[in-house]
Amino acid sequence: MPIETIIGAWVATGLTLFIFSFLYKDNPLFKLAENLYVGVSVGYTIVKTYDTVIVHLIWTPIVKNGEWALLIPVAIGMLMLTRYVPKAAWLSRYAFAFIVGVGSGLAIPRVISSYILKQIEDTVRPLLVMVPGEGLTFTWNLLNPASSLNTIIILIGVSSVLFYFFFSVEHTGPGKVVARTGILFLMIAFGAAFGYTVMARMSLLIGRLTDLIEFTDPSYGRPSLWLLGLTILTLVVMGRRGSSSTPEKE
Amino acid sequence: MTFAERMLKIDRRIIFLVIGLCTLLPLLYPVGLPIKISPEVRGVYDYIESLPEGSVFLLSLDFDPASKPELHPQSISLLRHAFRKNLRVVAMTLWVSGTGMADQVVTQVAREMGKENGKDYVFLGWSPGGTAVIMNMGQDLYGAFPADYNGKPTKGLPVLQGIANLRDVNYAVSLGAGNPGVEAWYVFGKDKYKFELGGGCTGVMAPGLYPLLRSGQINGLIGGLRGAAEYETLIGQKGKAIAGMDAQSATHLAIIVLVILCNLFYFSLRRQSKQQGHSGL
Repeated sequence: MPIETIIGAWVATGLTLFIFSFLYKDNPLFKLAENLYVGVSVGYTIVKTYDTVIVHLIWTPIVKNGEWALLIPVAIGMLMLTRYVPKAAWLSRYAFAFIVGVGSGLAIPRVISSYILKQIEDTVRPLLVMVPGEGLTFTWNLLNPASSLNTIIILIGVSSVLFYFFFSVEHTGPGKVVARTGILFLMIAFGAAFGYTVMARMSLLIGRLTDLIEFTDPSYGRPSLWLLGLTILTLVVMGRRGSSSTPEKE
Repeated sequence: MTFAERMLKIDRRIIFLVIGLCTLLPLLYPVGLPIKISPEVRGVYDYIESLPEGSVFLLSLDFDPASKPELHPQSISLLRHAFRKNLRVVAMTLWVSGTGMADQVVTQVAREMGKENGKDYVFLGWSPGGTAVIMNMGQDLYGAFPADYNGKPTKGLPVLQGIANLRDVNYAVSLGAGNPGVEAWYVFGKDKYKFELGGGCTGVMAPGLYPLLRSGQINGLIGGLRGAAEYETLIGQKGKAIAGMDAQSATHLAIIVLVILCNLFYFSLRRQSKQQGHSGL
């Protein structure tokens, strides 16, 4: 096995166990892993951004290929940096104006089309479906998302939740019933979202444990076992030091 | 202190230990619980299956190592399926922090399936701009990515022959862990440039993407590790996702039991305090 794979296994195992040690209590091993994670992420992002943007998208095309038109976006981008010079900071507004203007112009029509118009179109579906040979039919299948019954449920859900967030009318009488229905739909949505969140977090744990099990293999030098022992030992030593340095109550 | 009170004040580290054991034991001793295929995962599989040989399949790996356990198995399964169908694979990422990992997974699966870089597949790498990259690709693919990840000019690559922009893509799948991801690909890509789109996402994101699925804005959705396991089952190649399903079921069962127990203890405590209140009067 290549040496870099073995080193990678040891580093990955160590950092995973150091992070997991926080579940017992906060400790320097966790802090070390946490700071390394932040530092490495930022460092990697800076290097990749520099290499892709500055070298490959700006320097090479301009200097080697003579694509001088690229100097225009570079100049607009450079105006951003004038924020650091108080006397010239006003120039950065041109860059911001360009970004906000172009960004809004591109995003607003697309977002309205995708999130509002398409979703309204899907919410207000015909209740009766034309089935060849049977004519207009009302479908009762709950498992089919496009069934007539589900269309009614979605319509009730959307209307009642919207009413729940309509605060200009007091939620009393029939309005209270509608608002309560809205809360019910919201609770179901939150429950589904929470269930999926639990599943996602457990998947992350499964991913790490799968790797830890793989790294108990002798071909890696059993880093999981050695580093688990080291982590437990460190926690025990630190726990004893902590308890011995705590002043006794008189 | 009653039993219920003691249970409600239990050291949280005991709960961590229970969850840890429920995850670890099924991984060490798998049971092999059956995996049922959902229609949303089948939607992605069936569409890829229906594509003729040589079709263009765009895979955007929009995630970083933090979401690796869920999205890495999805990407491996999708790539294996696409390569098996002899599709032309164009891979890329919109997340700078996931570039190296994306390159690794594409290269690893391509090597395993005996595919050649530049001829059967290409990894375009990352380009700055997020959603702007999608729009740029919609206008001119070579403008957004003048060179691939290895610095080779994209113009003239055999794998990209006949592809000018996103309109020439037969099927695109975004494996997203956030923004930009599946939604961005729909809003700025499919909605404007009219190509078929499927999605893969982390479990946290899945409920938010179901409205897009129902309305037909995406034709399929692979949600979390569970979705990856379903896809592995569909292509008949067991991977890390299927291996993790027993552990997933065990932890879910443990959490359901804990929730029920906590509620039982809570209500018994409330009944006790009510009874004490009545007797005090």
